[in-house]
Amino acid sequence: MHLPDGFISVPVAATTGVIAVTAIAVAVRVTNKKIGEKQVPMMGVLAAFIFAAQMLNFPVAGGTSGHFVGAALAAILLGPWTAVLIMSSVLVVQCVIFQDGGLLALGANITNMAIVSVFISYYIYKGIYLMFGKSRTGLLAGAGIGAWFSVVFAALACAFELVISGTSPWEIAIPAMGGIHMIIGVGEALITVAVLSLVMATRSDLLKLQVT
Amino acid sequence: MKHSFIDEYSGLNSLIHRLDPRTKLVGSLAFILAVVLTPVNNWKVLAVYLGIVVVLVLLSRLPLRYLLKKSLVIIPFVIMITIFVPFFKQGQVVFSYNLGFWHIDVTYEGLSILLNVIIKSWLCIMCLVILSSSTKFAELLQGMYQLRVPLVFVQIMSFMYRYIFVLADQAMRMQMARDSRNFGNNRKIVFNTLGNMIGMLFIRSYERGERIYAAMLSRGYAGEIPITRTLQYKVPDACFTAALVVFLVFPAVIWW
Repeated sequence: MHLPDGFISVPVAATTGVIAVTAIAVAVRVTNKKIGEKQVPMMGVLAAFIFAAQMLNFPVAGGTSGHFVGAALAAILLGPWTAVLIMSSVLVVQCVIFQDGGLLALGANITNMAIVSVFISYYIYKGIYLMFGKSRTGLLAGAGIGAWFSVVFAALACAFELVISGTSPWEIAIPAMGGIHMIIGVGEALITVAVLSLVMATRSDLLKLQVT
Repeated sequence: MKHSFIDEYSGLNSLIHRLDPRTKLVGSLAFILAVVLTPVNNWKVLAVYLGIVVVLVLLSRLPLRYLLKKSLVIIPFVIMITIFVPFFKQGQVVFSYNLGFWHIDVTYEGLSILLNVIIKSWLCIMCLVILSSSTKFAELLQGMYQLRVPLVFVQIMSFMYRYIFVLADQAMRMQMARDSRNFGNNRKIVFNTLGNMIGMLFIRSYERGERIYAAMLSRGYAGEIPITRTLQYKVPDACFTAALVVFLVFPAVIWW
């Protein structure tokens, strides 16, 4: 959910803005050190990939459709800090070009969809992957569960911001946003697993990309 | 393939189009901040801000229909907030109705929050639409860079901007091919198909990225793209900023 401007209060926007700026600054430093600025073209193309993948929608229930978010996939394929950079650039472009999400609310959107969802999914994935002894099953299970949590937690963070801003009452916003995204998250999980199994079958070398 | 063009009207020539992108970026942020900070139900101030939007539209010579159409992206959020309204319990009841055993009170506070959110978010979205329709994306990026956004981040976005069209085309061709094969009829394969499509798109994008990188290396790329020009802050920018500040601050001082 890309929050537009006017839905969150200035203190919430300021706090999440500081979180987003700090995370991007750290991500720039980490990725500079690990892969160097030389990989910038690749990261740009992959950001465009996330953008294009989000355009592919699938029918949900009752004529509505959902689309893939990709934070978990980016985190698993590229490592969390690179994923933070890529997801943030997708969100900035969506904001300034397509008005998908507000300018003052950009910090909140980056916090929800490029920070919370990336790190939640990455550490859940990593934990399950190691628990299963780095097997194929562990990788796919971890990716699926991580992807589900990434969507649910991004939605909860969004609901939480709306509640703090006084735009919606908590007793309805949190169960509604959380509930809907528990269903949407299943789609995200299934797609992430399918993408990863295809990548493993065709170019398994790409799974060793992780830079952090 | 046909898709909505990015920054479609950014090539027009008007006062707003000629402004420094930094002026427009910072100005938009200031406008949005002022709108969001305006206390609830302060209609006089919001009317002045609506006036600013109208003036900007006229000065920018952008087609009104196009701007209004683009501002409709907030509708899903408005619907969501509307659903929440009956659940604001406190306050004076405007009207109530019964749905079987379920009694709903719509309060004055709930409705005023709804109205304020709709108006404020619409003003903000119009401001953003004008910003993006009057500025070329490359200039916006240059402005961001000169506003101290990290270079790596700006460069990622500039590459992204170059390849969005290519990859979006690829994605839409895949989608068309998929839909022409009766997609969605069998629920069990929906996610698998989509996963394969996105997986293929990823591999193609990755390989494209490798080729681009190799091509750039062979042309002498060493990790940095030289920036040949810098933006100049000119007299019209200063005038615009001054006028904007006056019209944002004065109503607030008088009517808050």
